[in-house]
Amino acid sequence: MAAALLEPALLRRLESLALLVRRAVSGQMGGERRSRRRGQSVEFADFRNYTPGDDFRLIDWNAYARLDRFMLRLFVAEEELPLNLFLDMSGSMDWGTPNKAATARRLAGAIAYVALAALDRVRLTVFAEGPTSGGAPYRGRRAAAELFARLQSFPTGGVTNYEKLVWPIGRQRPGMSVLISDGLGQPSIDPALMALQRAQQEGAVLQLLAPQEIALDWSGDARLKDAETGLEREFTATPLTQASYVRALTQRTDEIERAAHRRGLRFARLSTAEPIDQMVQITLRQIGLLG
Amino acid sequence: MSFLAPAAAVLALTLPAILALYFLKIRRPTRIVPALHLWPDQIRDRQANVPWQRLRPSWLLFLQLLAAGVLVAAAVQPVLPARAALARHSIVLLDASASMQATDVTPSRLGDAKRQVNALIDQLGPQDRMTIIAVASSARIVASATGDRDTLHRAVNGVIASNGAADLSAALAMAAGLVRAGDDARAYLFSDGIVQPLRASFAAGLPFPVEYHRVGVSGENVGLTSLTVRTGAQSRAAYLHVQNFGQQTRSVSVEWRADNHLLDVRPLSLQAGQAQDLVLPVPSDATSVTARLAAGDIFGLDDAATAVARTPRAFRVLLVTAGNVFLEQALRLRTDLQVDVIASAAYRPSATYALTVFDRFSPPVMPDGPYLMVDPPAGSALAGRQPVGIGRVRAVDAGDPLLANVDLQDVHVARSQDLRNSTFGRPLISSLQTPLVLVRDEPFRQVLFGFDLHESDLPLRIAFPILVQNLSEWMLPPSVPSHSFHPAEPVTIVPEPGATTVTVIRPDGSRRSLATASIATFADTDLTGLYTVEQSIAGKVQRSWFSVNLFSDPISQLKPPDRLTLPPTRTTAVQATHPGQLEIWPWIALAALTIVTAEWLAFHRGL
Repeated sequence: MAAALLEPALLRRLESLALLVRRAVSGQMGGERRSRRRGQSVEFADFRNYTPGDDFRLIDWNAYARLDRFMLRLFVAEEELPLNLFLDMSGSMDWGTPNKAATARRLAGAIAYVALAALDRVRLTVFAEGPTSGGAPYRGRRAAAELFARLQSFPTGGVTNYEKLVWPIGRQRPGMSVLISDGLGQPSIDPALMALQRAQQEGAVLQLLAPQEIALDWSGDARLKDAETGLEREFTATPLTQASYVRALTQRTDEIERAAHRRGLRFARLSTAEPIDQMVQITLRQIGLLG
Repeated sequence: MSFLAPAAAVLALTLPAILALYFLKIRRPTRIVPALHLWPDQIRDRQANVPWQRLRPSWLLFLQLLAAGVLVAAAVQPVLPARAALARHSIVLLDASASMQATDVTPSRLGDAKRQVNALIDQLGPQDRMTIIAVASSARIVASATGDRDTLHRAVNGVIASNGAADLSAALAMAAGLVRAGDDARAYLFSDGIVQPLRASFAAGLPFPVEYHRVGVSGENVGLTSLTVRTGAQSRAAYLHVQNFGQQTRSVSVEWRADNHLLDVRPLSLQAGQAQDLVLPVPSDATSVTARLAAGDIFGLDDAATAVARTPRAFRVLLVTAGNVFLEQALRLRTDLQVDVIASAAYRPSATYALTVFDRFSPPVMPDGPYLMVDPPAGSALAGRQPVGIGRVRAVDAGDPLLANVDLQDVHVARSQDLRNSTFGRPLISSLQTPLVLVRDEPFRQVLFGFDLHESDLPLRIAFPILVQNLSEWMLPPSVPSHSFHPAEPVTIVPEPGATTVTVIRPDGSRRSLATASIATFADTDLTGLYTVEQSIAGKVQRSWFSVNLFSDPISQLKPPDRLTLPPTRTTAVQATHPGQLEIWPWIALAALTIVTAEWLAFHRGL
């Protein structure tokens, strides 16, 4: 199943990558990330006085000999990174060649695999008109196949509603979040980004567009039908109207980028024409999401 | 306003057709897009293939209807009445003479005249015809009775100004020959009015009226009207006549050159109408002298003059007489004649003389060559019958070039041999009783006087030396005359004996070959300047020269007359004229093209 979503060769290359976090994280289980909490690792952090209930295995007996006081050696706790993937599966994502939804699945799978390979915890949420949980958190490389299968099981359809993401985001512990969407839903994406900021999420907004909507490849008369709402409108594509559309799309992209930066999030606009390898190895590295 | 092609109005049906296309609804293919709200709400119907829809206001529709309407307007060819009164057959006499080169109007008088003629052509109706005659030293039809405007425009624009005078008489005669009785014709003369005097034959009138359209405004011109080189006993000098024909004082400078080497530059100030003569010594080895006026005026053709400085080759003439001082002096007036006088007893036939003059003596055998016989003795071969008393003396043909400037009004002859039965030749001067002077061309140019000069007062008149000069030049034309000719004036060139080639090199360097077998008339003299005649004789090239100059006071005056005396109209037919037509469809078509371009731009910009 995993091979169906991502090629083994790509998976091997992904194992050499890691999610980059700007600050220490706190997870529920041990992992490879520096935690805000002191814990068990080989990296010394600090001393503190012993209080009853502390693990006496951590008492520094050498200090006791010199100071006649119980001192605890504190070590940097290495914990898992909670990675939340929010994946847009609205009707507008089921469009373009290569298909945006399919590319979003592969991209989410790639990012998730990077996290799983680093023993980070991955939580998946897909959304359209409302959020849908992708099941229990996934952890470890073995969970990748299940995660990939789950990714591919979600249908597309419905109208994008970013406001419905506010509640599930607010439930997340501080960590990293990656929101993958075409950003074309009519309501603003800003409420969801604001919720990410409040939930102390660092991460990225990845806008995924098909090449056919970045540069129009047709002209003339047409009846346009909205992929999400089903609304229709007569339209004549001329150089003037095409330019007007491109301006509107660029304006929408700029709005998302500004909102992301305002909320301390990274932003990248991706085209489905780019190979997943290139997106991960180049673009996501450039914005500092992966390293 | 009227229309030349009203049937084309049927094309107006395209307007409702265009409108109908906009009523048709477009069958649009459905395209699914991710976000409809990003697409501008702009619809333009480009194709119509399913009925019907509500008509939407559209710039394209407006522009297409406008373009179609304007194209239909152009197709019906509307015409506006023009100012000119045209006949069915318009004859344009376009002056292309020397004075039309004046630049007092832009670009020149001829250019301005062409502009006016082109405007007249544009006003021709579909039934009208036009003939265009270029008037210069000769008249030339450049377009004959055609209504094809392109042909007429091309013909007019192809006319170039000559350096000769305008022979309006020839042009009018040519125009009269084109018009049949009862034709609705009218002539339009586009000229500065500087034309040669009309011939008296036009007094009876023309079969069409002539309108004079004056071209040109100014007469401010300084010109050279004469340049001659005279050879004295010791030296040679050039005499130049400069005249200010304008109304303002002009300061000019005269540049002298001999064989293109600068000799002198003289400043000169001339009052209005003032003339001045300048004299300049000419080097003895000079071939030609050129005077050039740095006047910078409106007419350049008379600002340069060229004269030949070489003296012509002399002819030997034998006068056989018992004594005739009149005849001897008259012959000696011609500087290129070397006259030997002998008594009749000493006469021996000789080939060394180009001309022999027999005065009251007839040799047993007449020489093979030109001769002038005066009063042949009774009984000789050329003698006439018994002398008769003579009354009034008259010219047989006053226009005969041999009698040019010969005034016979006060000439009397006491008596003359009766030459009425003479077979010598044609009579030149005659009386009621008998021909007095006969001339013939064959076998040689020869002249016979039937009376003794001493029995006439002709030798006492100024007419006599002129007559002798005319006759001697006719019998002994110089191989190449060295004096100045007017533009387009024919020049008689007599090839030297033994000449194998005769070539004339014009001032612009072009060469013309002439026949060597006979006397040639060279008429390609429209250019002013120095002409060189090269003759190859026994492998050697012999050069001689003649010059062509404007030297015409009437032309140099330049001032166009306000009125021009033209022949009256000799016709009883009513001169039915109609206003000319000014076709405006090219402008309408241009407007249509502009609208179509705007529509194309609007289409591609998606307006």
